[in-house]
Amino acid sequence: MNAPTGLDFASIPERIQSEVQRAIQRSIKGVEYFSTSGPSLGSTPKDVLHSRGTMNLYHYRPMSDEIYRVPVLIVMATTNRGYILDLVPGQSFIEFLLKRGYDVYMLDWSAPRPEEKSLRMEDYVLDFVPDCVRRVQQDSGEQDVSVIGYCFGGVLSLLYGSIHQDGPMKNLICFTTPIDFREMKLFSNFSDRRYFDVDRLVDSIGNVPPEMILSSFEMLRPASRTVSQIQLWENIWNDEFVKSYRMFDRWATDTLPLAGEYFRTITKDLMWDNKLFNDTMSVGGRAAKLENIKVPILHAVAEHDHIVPYEAAKHLIAKIGSADKEEVMLKGGHVSLVAGANAVKRLWPKLDSWLGKRST
Amino acid sequence: MTDKTNDPVAMWQKMIGEMEKGFNSFANQAMSSPEFSQAMNRAGGAAAGAQKQLGELMEKYLVSMNLPSREQVTGLAERLQSIEAQIGEMKSMLSQIAAGSGISQGFDGAPRPPRTKRPPSEGEQT
Repeated sequence: MNAPTGLDFASIPERIQSEVQRAIQRSIKGVEYFSTSGPSLGSTPKDVLHSRGTMNLYHYRPMSDEIYRVPVLIVMATTNRGYILDLVPGQSFIEFLLKRGYDVYMLDWSAPRPEEKSLRMEDYVLDFVPDCVRRVQQDSGEQDVSVIGYCFGGVLSLLYGSIHQDGPMKNLICFTTPIDFREMKLFSNFSDRRYFDVDRLVDSIGNVPPEMILSSFEMLRPASRTVSQIQLWENIWNDEFVKSYRMFDRWATDTLPLAGEYFRTITKDLMWDNKLFNDTMSVGGRAAKLENIKVPILHAVAEHDHIVPYEAAKHLIAKIGSADKEEVMLKGGHVSLVAGANAVKRLWPKLDSWLGKRST
Repeated sequence: MTDKTNDPVAMWQKMIGEMEKGFNSFANQAMSSPEFSQAMNRAGGAAAGAQKQLGELMEKYLVSMNLPSREQVTGLAERLQSIEAQIGEMKSMLSQIAAGSGISQGFDGAPRPPRTKRPPSEGEQT
């Protein structure tokens, strides 16, 4: 090694050769990238148990000889597709749960059609979620159901649980769930009531288009899309990197529109008045206080979550009325907490050890 | 082996990472201002108005072309959805009948595993 510069001159020819090979590979793989589609996502075998407008209830076929008594219902966020939890074999949260012996159902969302613009928060909390819970009970033959809510799916689960205190929810798991919407600083500023006329928006366009949802997410980190494309080009010779990029990029850009009335309530009650945090939230005239939730709860938050910062999620456990409650903070971001290589090692085993003993 | 601090590729990657962080942080600061919110929402409001007008124009155009109206297509979709719902109910009933007769099986007809699983004891590998 050359001491003053720190350069190892002997390795330079080897390095140049490697870079030239990568440059050639980039050209070949670059062509391949545009001529092929990405990996097939969400392919764990499942049956559509029920479908009604924007709501879809799936049941995944068991992969274990013996399953836990209590079935699990996953409530997906209304802005995104549920296949983030079922990427590809080996990187699928659903597959992980099935192999660990859980009976798994998922409430997933399709894009609400224009005529579904009138869907209100009541439809989601007092109709869709309870309807799915009932169907899970019916299909599984069990009275108890554990609920897992991801991001805004967690908010829906909390609202459901706080109103339906007498069951049948047995356990509740929330992933990166905001309750203090003041702390979602940028979203809060984007929807500043002095300048954001939500009534005009909803009255004029009905459902909030997915492009608007996507751009508000991307604005949180405006340079990241460009940088990720640079990184893709640098690593396009690396099949694993490309596969992972395509999976996450496809999911991230596959954003759903939001039903107009539902969006109006989110903006007014949660973003403007912060009612969930202030214990003044009600849905369809029914009080939805977090202290009403008495079932065991686990809240998993991500250390580097730029969408739901920790400040927006940290009061959840304190405000819940359960005696059996736990918050776990894990390394990762909003998505990598629940999906991808790191989730396999961090969140999933933690969830399994927590939920398994509460599922008999 | 090449020292990371002098590796041009590693230096380039580090620089890109730093630029991303710097730009995101700068942009976040700028976007936190009320002025940004005002400007963004003014532009958004105008775009929403234009989109509404365009939608109305398109609807008139489709009517003049003697194409089915949105209501008609929606009506068909609703009928289809109601048929789907009825099939779903029938499947669910069949499943219940099967469960009532002691056969635990799913939609695919495969028998369901027993609900007897216990969590592994502490320290046990699964």
